Amino acid sequence: MHQNLTIFRMAHALASHAGTRQAVIAQNIANADTPGYRPLDVAPFSDIVGHRVEVQQKATRISHLNGAGTPFEPEIKAMPASGHTNPNGNAVTLEEQMMHAVEVKRQHDRALAIYKSTLGILRTSLGRR
Amino acid sequence: MSDFSQSLSVSASGLKAQATRLRHLSENIANADTPGYRRKTVPFETAFAPRDGVAQVTTGRVKLDRAELERIYDPSHPLADESGHHDGSNVNLLIEIADAREAQRSYEANLKMFDQAREMSTGLMELLRR
Repeated sequence: MHQNLTIFRMAHALASHAGTRQAVIAQNIANADTPGYRPLDVAPFSDIVGHRVEVQQKATRISHLNGAGTPFEPEIKAMPASGHTNPNGNAVTLEEQMMHAVEVKRQHDRALAIYKSTLGILRTSLGRR
Repeated sequence: MSDFSQSLSVSASGLKAQATRLRHLSENIANADTPGYRRKTVPFETAFAPRDGVAQVTTGRVKLDRAELERIYDPSHPLADESGHHDGSNVNLLIEIADAREAQRSYEANLKMFDQAREMSTGLMELLRR
């Protein structure tokens, strides 16, 4: 019955999305001075979950959390050009990447907090502390 | 390889590249008054790690700046020619300092990302504690 709780899957997906995005941002920042490098980004988590969070989620796409297909695969794509390109063809803005990094950290912390609190509720229901 | 270790390795490659750049910059600044010295530049290149496909950054072969050497008028200098001039270096201190600042800024950004990936994986490990 409680083998695969949706909230755990959701927290897991959120945390792994944050992890993937963290790796992509680290790559962008490492290449902030490489000539011709174009920054990458990960599609936002809301694209995967869908805007309306219902109790019973609809799976309209194979990548959806309760869809039948692959568990969860964040999509990595090139970042839209912000019109700010260095003379050497590099389009990474450090400030922008740092902002994204803070977003990722918050998202990851949120996912872990949800996971932890749900775990606490389960433990309480089992009569343990 | 997990996302976190990818993140750590790519940040580490960035740190290494920026440190190499900073080392050559300080070499240039130290040799700003050496006669005939040409400033060194370090090209950055993207290298794909064979296993995980992360675009790490590496430094390529060191290149010498082809710009004209400065002509210094000093007839008493042992290297001076008939006109009393000798070759100085083509190091422009202003450029070197500005470049050093940029390298430092990028280094700090990489360090921050390294630290953040570490914090995130520590947070994940904390879940195992009761």
